[in-house]
Amino acid sequence: MRLGRDSLAGLIFLAVSLTLLVQSFGLPQLPLVPVGPGFYPRIVLIFMAVTSAALIVQDLLARRAEPADVPAPAQPQRAYGLVALSFVIVALYLVFLPLLGYRIATVLFVAALQATLERPTTWRQWAVLAAIAIGTSAVTYLVFERYLTVLLPRGSWTDW
Amino acid sequence: MFELLGHGLLTVLQWNYLVPLFAGTLVGVIGGALPGVTITMTIIVILPFTYGLDPLQGLAAMTGVYVGGSAGGLVTACLLGIPGTPSAIATTFDGFPMARAGAPGRAIWLGVWSSLFGGLLGGLFLILVTGPLAAIALQFGPWEYFSLFVLAMAMVAGLAESSFIKGLLSTAIGLLITVIGTDPIGSVPRFTFGSEFISGGFPFLPVLIGIFAFAQIMSDIEKLAVPKTPESVLAAQPSLGVSLGVSHLKVIGEILGRPFLLLWSTIVGILIGVLPAIGGSAANMLAYDQAKKFSRHPERFGTGIPEGIIASESSNNANVGGSLVTIMAFGIPGDAVTAVMLGAMTIHGIQSGPLFVTQQPALAYGIYAAYILAHLLMVLIVAAGALFMLQITRVRLAVLAPVVLVLCVIGAYALNNTMQSVYVLLIFGVFGYALVRCGFPLAPLILGLILGDQIEINLIRAIMTDDNPLLFFTRPISGALLLCAALSVGLAIWQHMRHQARTAREGAPEF
Repeated sequence: MRLGRDSLAGLIFLAVSLTLLVQSFGLPQLPLVPVGPGFYPRIVLIFMAVTSAALIVQDLLARRAEPADVPAPAQPQRAYGLVALSFVIVALYLVFLPLLGYRIATVLFVAALQATLERPTTWRQWAVLAAIAIGTSAVTYLVFERYLTVLLPRGSWTDW
Repeated sequence: MFELLGHGLLTVLQWNYLVPLFAGTLVGVIGGALPGVTITMTIIVILPFTYGLDPLQGLAAMTGVYVGGSAGGLVTACLLGIPGTPSAIATTFDGFPMARAGAPGRAIWLGVWSSLFGGLLGGLFLILVTGPLAAIALQFGPWEYFSLFVLAMAMVAGLAESSFIKGLLSTAIGLLITVIGTDPIGSVPRFTFGSEFISGGFPFLPVLIGIFAFAQIMSDIEKLAVPKTPESVLAAQPSLGVSLGVSHLKVIGEILGRPFLLLWSTIVGILIGVLPAIGGSAANMLAYDQAKKFSRHPERFGTGIPEGIIASESSNNANVGGSLVTIMAFGIPGDAVTAVMLGAMTIHGIQSGPLFVTQQPALAYGIYAAYILAHLLMVLIVAAGALFMLQITRVRLAVLAPVVLVLCVIGAYALNNTMQSVYVLLIFGVFGYALVRCGFPLAPLILGLILGDQIEINLIRAIMTDDNPLLFFTRPISGALLLCAALSVGLAIWQHMRHQARTAREGAPEF
């Protein structure tokens, strides 16, 4: 029998909870606190292990009850590739933020994500995209740094 | 009390408080009107702006977002048939048919005035009840607090729509996140694997922002693959030619002519708000359901009758008052929005809880005043710009998503001016999205995350005071709270089993 999504999630959380549960017994005891720093985490981890196991059992029972020849219901179309790409762009933004500084990195990030989500096809659309990217960076920088005295990251490469 | 409230009103009416309150209410109404942008998302976006403000300015802005957002959803619900926020879903049932039947102004204003009346009644409850509840909470020892937090989590996990077990597991994940890092009693590092990065634990706000904002934005991006049907495109075309003109006296008369409906829906909203971490999405549906059950003509619900709009809108704004009671009297967030407010209070060094009203009366009554004024501002904003808001709803996700994500990054970075919080944001963004994809409810996780430290501290404190564990059950309030928690879990299991049995009998697939 193939494992379902719930069983897989349950297995992952069960493995995490059991690993940490073993680790919790290695935590040092404190003379003043009667139960030690591992006491409460152990309660949480046992609770997590039990619920994870229950999720696996529930999923396996539900799958066993399902007739084998019933086709799976049609899933709505989803742009998972676009989601993955968006996460990569966010990750790159965070990598370059301390290197390029907030102003430059934000212009590049906003432009890149916009172009990824809705690719401009005309020069006018590209100009709007650039204006939004520059505008977002400039307005947020001015509002936060100048008016709200919130410091934003400076770039170690650009000193900007 | 009323002298302090008057003082609070005079304070918030000063420009330096009125401007953030107005800005917050405006952003809240717009955020609420934007389909796909929840009030939680809006308050996360506004959060970094509050760092540079004084505590009352920041909390006034957040209160404005909360009130404005609770009402803003009705604009798109009535005129486009798309609820701007989950707390306006039930408004769509009768608001949209009424608007399509040629009375968009009546639909909108029934909603706005009901929001105002429900919100102000919720405010009255907030002002009158917070103090006495806080006085009761002051009698609580660590046993009672521990049991109260357990009850809160049992209720939220039990309300998980998808699966009760996933609700419980989600709670456990939230609790687990809080035990990583140094322990709150003896400062012993736990589960850090020698890493400096997590030695101090995960900061609460970046985790919350990551989980909520990313899960929502990425879920919206997923849907970009769905081709738009000609009908949906047509329905989403707002027109500036629509007239929202209406006799306000007549509309107010329609609402006040149904005092039982207004009062009962408000009470439902307040009670749902007081219950931890549930929120307006449940309040409006429950109030609508109650209104239908009590009605002499339930079959007319859904055809564009005023009762449906009054029930939904009065309850979702009253819900705000209820949520604020919980956070101000007990220090427990009533929902994810108040969880962000709690985080903002912590940043400003303010401890919410039973001592909050007595130790910070100026701030507490300032929040009450901001709450009342935000309702009046909300009416003015909708009157001035309901149709303009419809134009804003045309902002494309390709523009909205990067701007919101930039504000999330600022919100995380500005907490302590380190990139570490921003990396936490991304890690939990990915994690939150994965959880949503696997069908895990986020509300129990957030509550576990918020209460985790407090649960541990109170548990250890209780054991250090007296090592008899039976005290959790034998102390009357603590025992009663634990009994309620057990009943809540039992009820959730019973409902779940009944639902499964019914599904199996009817042979319908479970969604």
